[in-house]
Amino acid sequence: MVFAVGMTRQLLGRLGGVFILALLGSASVFFAMRMGAGDPAIAALGDFATPEAIAAFRTKWGIDQPVVLQYWKWLLNALQGDFGTSMTIAANVPIAKLIASRLPNTMFIGLLALTIAVLISLFAGTLSVLRHGQLVDTVATSLAILGISMPDFWLSYVLIYIFALGLGIFPSYGFVTPPESFSAALYCGFLPALAVAAPMAAAFTRILRTALLETLHREHVRVARSFGFRASFIFIHYVMRNALIPYVTVVGLQIRYILGGTVVVERIFGVPGIGALMVDAAFARDYPVVQACALTFLIGVLSVNLIVDFVCAALNPREIT
Amino acid sequence: MRSLFRNPLGLTGFCITFFVVSAMIVGPWISPYSPTEADYMALLAPPGWSHPFGTDSFGRDVLTRIFYGARVSFSVVTVGICAAAIIGAVAGLISAYLGGWWSGIIMRISDLLFSFPSFVLALFLMVLLGFGLANIATAIALIYIPIFTRLTRNMALLVKDEPWVQAAELLGQSTLSILGREILPNIAAPLFVQMALGLAFGIVIEAGLSFLGLGVQPPDPSLGTIMADGREYFQRSPWVLTLSGASISVALLGLNLLSDGIRDVMDPKLRARL
Repeated sequence: MVFAVGMTRQLLGRLGGVFILALLGSASVFFAMRMGAGDPAIAALGDFATPEAIAAFRTKWGIDQPVVLQYWKWLLNALQGDFGTSMTIAANVPIAKLIASRLPNTMFIGLLALTIAVLISLFAGTLSVLRHGQLVDTVATSLAILGISMPDFWLSYVLIYIFALGLGIFPSYGFVTPPESFSAALYCGFLPALAVAAPMAAAFTRILRTALLETLHREHVRVARSFGFRASFIFIHYVMRNALIPYVTVVGLQIRYILGGTVVVERIFGVPGIGALMVDAAFARDYPVVQACALTFLIGVLSVNLIVDFVCAALNPREIT
Repeated sequence: MRSLFRNPLGLTGFCITFFVVSAMIVGPWISPYSPTEADYMALLAPPGWSHPFGTDSFGRDVLTRIFYGARVSFSVVTVGICAAAIIGAVAGLISAYLGGWWSGIIMRISDLLFSFPSFVLALFLMVLLGFGLANIATAIALIYIPIFTRLTRNMALLVKDEPWVQAAELLGQSTLSILGREILPNIAAPLFVQMALGLAFGIVIEAGLSFLGLGVQPPDPSLGTIMADGREYFQRSPWVLTLSGASISVALLGLNLLSDGIRDVMDPKLRARL
């Protein structure tokens, strides 16, 4: 019961913090965009647009009004799910619709990448600790160092070269959305997800290995051993559970890199996700779309952080106040 | 420094980094080719004696372009990371030592910057500021400022109540000299580790931005633009993309091993706190 009350209070506190950060984030993105970026009217209409056309464009998009008023209007609409319409890349299509059609693809690739990275790291990290100092350990740690030295866009081409062009097992370009066919999405999404996952898997393996090695020599483990518990029982209940706390924290922090990594990889593999949308919008100077994409990523990171906090609280009840 | 050389990881990392940096400095002098001049007699030549890494679609020597590109990438990233380290260290020290509402503001700004995926933040800033070298450095600095701020703050909080800091306070030293002479030297090691890691990650950001066409603009070489060139004829002549990508990996490997090595030889207490 105490656990539940503490949990609820913490949940509310964290939710409030996340809400304030999201608000601050949206405001700074909005103001930065209005102050720093070039003139969207010229970007949309070209350098040779007449002054009348530019003025009409500005009135139409409300760019002629004070910035604070623009933000207030934008915020009111955004809270109702209306992010305005795209300026240049898909003229007059509601941005909410663009985001909604692409968000599931990015989430799919991101979750697939996260799953791959977690599975590889749990396996490799555990194995290298159980065989500490042996050949397997050396191979796993060397691979992990190599893995964090392979940027995802470069790894993408290595994977395309080996699996698509060489062996012909996976497609090198194109994507099928999960609702259309889940198995096809898994098939097309595997290489991009692997490219995002590999550097993460390497980082996760390193942190899990360190955490396991540190826990292995702690007092409670020695006590459990002196009680004569079976080694596998001790490893799962006493070592793994404690080592998972730093592991989950690092996994949560790295979600930022997974989401960031999808941007380039989506472009390379032709996955129609938020990252690819943001790059297209960046080239076309479609400011409302860039802004909406940046905020989508921000909210994604904030929600993941929230989830991670609760997983950590569940793993380590001492932290709950 | 000497103990760094006794650490096998650190020594390997130092050697690789030293090799990469010296290749970058000496390479352009030795190379007989120009990084931007086209040679239409040697289009897409495969790697061989006259062109160790082959040539690209304009007949430019890929190895020479990598030398010049690495110079550009390294200097942009170094400027960005150094700026981030200085600003972050100052902000973190102020936040930890002075506390109060300054600390609240600094930490909220850093929370906010930290909540964007780093590559998304970089992309956003490139749209905002325009593509180009100085703006890449700014973007990298902004990505790394919150990381240095948090690290400095956490480390400074750990040492600020130590006896030697209290002694300095009792002796009436100014706040500036306490921060600069008592606290900063004692938390410098983890900052250096983070700088080495930051250099590695900054190279990835720069290369990624330029690879997409949002960073360094052609015909200027940077590690990312060379890879982007190679992408266009990847199937026919894979060496341009593969060898430039491999060079990035070698540089990253050196920096990652070096930072591991520094961390290992550091004060074991600090190591546990990182």
